[in-house]
Amino acid sequence: MGGAGMSSRPLDSTFAHRTGVIGSVVDGMRRVTRAPFVLLGVWALTLLVSVPLAASLRSMLANHLGRSLAADTAARGVNYDWMQEFGDQATGLGVTFKPTIIGFGAVLDNLSAFMDNTQRPVVIVGAAAVYILLWIFVAGGIIDRYARNRATRAHGFFSACGIFFFRFLRLAAMQWVVYAFLFGFMHGWLFDRLYPRLIHDVNVERTAFFIRVALYLLFGILVAACALAFDYAKVRAVVEDRRSMAGAVGAALGFIQRNYGAAVGLFGVNFLLFAIAVGMYALVAPGAGTSGVSMWIGFVIGQLYIVARLWVKLVFWASETALFQGRLAHAGYVARPEPTWPDSPSAEAI
Amino acid sequence: MSRMPCWCVGAMFIATAASAQSGVPGAIDPPRSPRNANYTISATLDPASRTISGSETIVWRNTTAQATSELQFHLYWNAWQDDMSTFMRERALGNAPAPGTLPRTAGEWGRIDVSSIELKAPAQADLTALQRFIAPDDGNQHDRTVLLVPLPQPIEPGGSATLALVWTAHVPRTVARTGAIGNYFFIAQWFPKLGVLQDDGWNCHQFHAGTEFFSDYGSYDVSLTVPAGWPVGATGVQRERRDNGSNTTTHRYYQDDVHDFAWTTSPDYLERTARFDHPTLPPVDMRLLLQPEHANQAERHFDATRTTLKYYGEWYGAYPYGHITIVDPAYQSGAGGMEYPTLFTAGSRWLAPARVTTPEGVTVHEAGHQFWYGIVGNNEFEDAWMDEGFNTFSTARAVAQVYDPNYLAVRYFGGFVPWVFRDIAISRETDGNRLSGYRRDAKSNVQSTPSYRYFPSTGGSITYNKTALWLNTMERWLGWATLQRIMSTQFARWSFKHPRPRDFFDIVDEVTGRDLRWFFDQTYRSSNVFDYGVQDLKSTKEGDRYRTSVIVRRYGEAILPVDVQVTFRNGERLTEHWDGQDRWRMYTYDRPSQALAAEVDPNRVLLLDVSMTNNSMTLAPQGARAATKWSTAWMAWFEECLLSWAALV
Repeated sequence: MGGAGMSSRPLDSTFAHRTGVIGSVVDGMRRVTRAPFVLLGVWALTLLVSVPLAASLRSMLANHLGRSLAADTAARGVNYDWMQEFGDQATGLGVTFKPTIIGFGAVLDNLSAFMDNTQRPVVIVGAAAVYILLWIFVAGGIIDRYARNRATRAHGFFSACGIFFFRFLRLAAMQWVVYAFLFGFMHGWLFDRLYPRLIHDVNVERTAFFIRVALYLLFGILVAACALAFDYAKVRAVVEDRRSMAGAVGAALGFIQRNYGAAVGLFGVNFLLFAIAVGMYALVAPGAGTSGVSMWIGFVIGQLYIVARLWVKLVFWASETALFQGRLAHAGYVARPEPTWPDSPSAEAI
Repeated sequence: MSRMPCWCVGAMFIATAASAQSGVPGAIDPPRSPRNANYTISATLDPASRTISGSETIVWRNTTAQATSELQFHLYWNAWQDDMSTFMRERALGNAPAPGTLPRTAGEWGRIDVSSIELKAPAQADLTALQRFIAPDDGNQHDRTVLLVPLPQPIEPGGSATLALVWTAHVPRTVARTGAIGNYFFIAQWFPKLGVLQDDGWNCHQFHAGTEFFSDYGSYDVSLTVPAGWPVGATGVQRERRDNGSNTTTHRYYQDDVHDFAWTTSPDYLERTARFDHPTLPPVDMRLLLQPEHANQAERHFDATRTTLKYYGEWYGAYPYGHITIVDPAYQSGAGGMEYPTLFTAGSRWLAPARVTTPEGVTVHEAGHQFWYGIVGNNEFEDAWMDEGFNTFSTARAVAQVYDPNYLAVRYFGGFVPWVFRDIAISRETDGNRLSGYRRDAKSNVQSTPSYRYFPSTGGSITYNKTALWLNTMERWLGWATLQRIMSTQFARWSFKHPRPRDFFDIVDEVTGRDLRWFFDQTYRSSNVFDYGVQDLKSTKEGDRYRTSVIVRRYGEAILPVDVQVTFRNGERLTEHWDGQDRWRMYTYDRPSQALAAEVDPNRVLLLDVSMTNNSMTLAPQGARAATKWSTAWMAWFEECLLSWAALV
């Protein structure tokens, strides 16, 4: 079975020497670069979820502005009075329309909300749930594509998506339990119970800030550790064609335990890529702009940043796949046979 | 008299203020106030047990036309002895504790126990056993913030009484800008303090969550014993400092013509000094007690205080005391942004970017209270708007003179990390006067209701915001020169006195020469909202001319005359003066040019209008373009938001 799934593509002669952290990252980048449609696809996925809500918000804003002259200043720059007036009467999606959406403030707003576990409106949570479901669907196809490191075409990609969707749904249930514990209990315990006690008698803001940063680090490490385990569970599930997701998580933990330095180091380097993407955006993030050309320039810069973030996410998976494969006896190994149309399981399902 | 030029009134006041400062620290000669409540206090702070042992001698004079057979004292700290006081019950109304708020432990509550009350004059009597608590506002039997002491014989009008009290206070963990955290102590409303006797009896309210204080003017001579080496900041000027040899130091502070005394001590304070000089205003020595983590912000504090002394001094009248103490409160002290005579707490952050008015905004505001609260001593229990509202308006005006532009900053990551939105300059008229907060709470209280009866969590929007907005509306409607004359007259006439609302309204009528009762009926005596708008604009060609019709509406209940302006494509502008009474009005025009836009209140005089977006209508609307622009910006934020969630997949 293993032999049947072995990639037929000759291995890069230097691949065997790139099983370290940097080698895996470089290889991961290369795999992502070789599959531009995957990147475009996940960007399209992001737009698919975002555009309808943006259109809905646009309708709300247009209705509120109507034929008002307030729209002139809102179009030319920022009409903060109008923004506040809109916010004061907004419900649902509208309550998310705040000055914090402007430029790099948007990134800080989301990062801060993530780390502070800020509640978002139901409509945002619902859309995020759909987005996550879509990612669960495509995750198998993406990792399969990177594991094979060769074009699998649409039918190969989507057949892998189909095969792994329900497996990853089961994995997602496990993830949900873990993340619900982390964000539903651990975060509250750290930041709503422990943190107030730690700073109870602190009368120097700097000290309180560093205590909070320490707790962010602790919480971040816990989340990262879980994300790491679940990433490798997905990688092992795809590469080794595992059906048991509990088994995949156990195997992932075993892999991480045996390759602790490399796995953690790789995660760190990938996180650094994330930080670089965010840092670059901080330098070029557009302001409010006008409604003319600068709006579209701002839009393009914003979308380039989103694509960069997606690229980093894909590099995470691709490099982890590369590391895992590189640490196997047979580098580039993929257990499951490459699907061939019309014999693919998805075709059979039809 | 009312027509006297304001510069002349100001010059006279300045001359008076300058001459009033005698050579003795804290003394003012001749007296500026009635000085009918004079306190000599001796207090010792034990930081370890967080107790203050104090004794005080009060010399009080009945300045009313009625005799009184009792005295009423405020014991504010008893509001924090448990959660059954009126203060704590009101605080819980509509205000769920923030996540992570820890319940107070037994040692963190505060209280004040009066162990002895003796009448020394006109007769000798021990009144200790006669003291009892009353709850004049709500009958709450658990509230112990007002102490009644019967007198053996009435004090007649013009008569005096001398009392000696001994008391012990337990310093609470900081609450309502008072108390201790770590080795930071801010001690305010801390001693048994007489209420104000008025012709209709004692005005001595319980401590309420939403309001502040009221007391008579007098001289304070206060000796404070604290650990050696701990700097002290206090109302007045230090007259004497004595090392006691027991690792304690006694600081004696003195001040005439003030109505309260607050102090602070902490071993961590950095002390800085500077001076305010002005061509026509008296100089003021400024002393700043600064947190070490804000060491680089000293000049920002001084600069903001100078801004206040300059502009408030030029607009209203001179600051008469010659010295002022700025206290930069410790983190989590909850003491930030509070006024006391000749001393105030500002409030800054460790990360305080430039062009954002922290700490400047709060510093200007609290320094401004020296004028509206300190010098003009209105009743903050009942008419808080007379100082908070006047001062919010004045703060915004002063900040706009010096710190324009300043930008919106939002704090992230637990509120620690600021990000400045340089696209969003803060507007004096709307942001400085806090229109958004008013809009949310506009109908929550009728402003003429006594302030302590406002709903606690929304009262501030009426006290601060609504007043500032109608004052700014008056400025735009009557002109700054007129409003400045109104406010400087109020300041001159009611310095070191207790004005009531009608006193201000009388001055408005006097200065403007008009009966403006109707304006205050709409604003002060009502919770109705203003909302004028353009309902429709049509401009169609009929022959070689355009027939234009504009329908304007009064959507809100409140009424104020407004202008209606119609702009035509050829640049022609027509302005109508609408009395604003009817629910709607239509204007029609027959012009050679098509109309472009119509606006109600085009100059935005009526800052209380809760919806400005509907005030205009154009035939060349940009709403779609603006909505597209902002929805694309929002989309980038939303995609980013999705990615942060997707990180967990």
